[in-house]
Amino acid sequence: MEREQILKDINAIFIDILDNEDIVLTNETTAADVDGWDSLTHIQLVVAFENHFGIRFTTMEIQGWENVGAIVACISSKC
Amino acid sequence: MSTILKVILDKIKAKNPKHYEKLVAHLEGYGTDYENLANSFFNKYNEYLERNQKSIDFGVDCYLHMIEDMLEERFKFIREGKYSNSSFDDVEKRIYGNPEIMTYHMHGLVLAQFLWFDQYERILFFIENINKYAKGGKKYLEIGGGHGLYMNEAVNLLTNIEKFDLVDISQSSLDLAQGIINTNQVNYFLKNIFDFRESETYDFITMGEVLEHVEEPLNLLNKINQLLNKDGVCYITTPINAPMIDHIYLFHNETEIRDMLNQAGFEIIEERIVISEKITEKQAAKFKVPVMYAAFIKKQ
Repeated sequence: MEREQILKDINAIFIDILDNEDIVLTNETTAADVDGWDSLTHIQLVVAFENHFGIRFTTMEIQGWENVGAIVACISSKC
Repeated sequence: MSTILKVILDKIKAKNPKHYEKLVAHLEGYGTDYENLANSFFNKYNEYLERNQKSIDFGVDCYLHMIEDMLEERFKFIREGKYSNSSFDDVEKRIYGNPEIMTYHMHGLVLAQFLWFDQYERILFFIENINKYAKGGKKYLEIGGGHGLYMNEAVNLLTNIEKFDLVDISQSSLDLAQGIINTNQVNYFLKNIFDFRESETYDFITMGEVLEHVEEPLNLLNKINQLLNKDGVCYITTPINAPMIDHIYLFHNETEIRDMLNQAGFEIIEERIVISEKITEKQAAKFKVPVMYAAFIKKQ
């Protein structure tokens, strides 16, 4: 799957979970840049990614993500 | 001078800065009363550790291990919508019967009693009201004493009580509670509550965070009803949406708890409900965030 499309899809998931239409993600976006993206909502986001893309992440993978680009790369490697 | 609470928080900061930031943000605004109570209990805990040739670093490591487990359980819970355990036998074999897991889990819970603001609210609700409801009573029972915090406070606050009994299914829990409370005023029983005391009754019963550990909590409430005197009062707490390695029964909301209490023949006198994150009720429901439910109840 194209990384650009993955970024679009996870942007839509962020908007839905965090209930914020203004979210615009880039590969460089980190949790500090997005209101409401904290340890609590992170779990919801991760599980929503898993369900949307039909994949499953390991704890190691989840803990290794430093920004949105890392999430996109991880999803891309599984789809 | 550095207090034991500060020492604990500093050690967490060094090992898990993100978690430290969250704890500190959640505890903001809790003042001297909170610090005094936390330091008093943590000092007792630290003395217990030192008597057992351990330091507070051991407690902090156990706590951090426990929250790693919680994260794993939370992922499973959000993925599947249910707790990972469904059978008491499995939990007994895997957790209660495993001293290594029980040790770090129980020590982790000791620190959680004051590091988590919802847990502090739980003990605060107990302390603020226990004298009112246990007044005139002679016999006190705690079921699932765990870390000993509630029995410790009961012994300190209830001068009228002549007999304090504590029953727990786990030897590790009993050892920890006994070691921290460190008094000969309490009788300890290693027993499954369903095999405990067929004839004796109590004036006050405390059962904190136990209902979620059984397959059929209604049966447990019925047992409490048998153990409670006609005019007795029980302090009961249980969490909603709170996955842990040893939780079995999932309460989805407070209505389910209230309904079950009523079904077991209890009337709620007063209750306190605290969301474990600083978010709205709507967000808590959306994200299935753990919620602490506590109530003083009496027979209908």
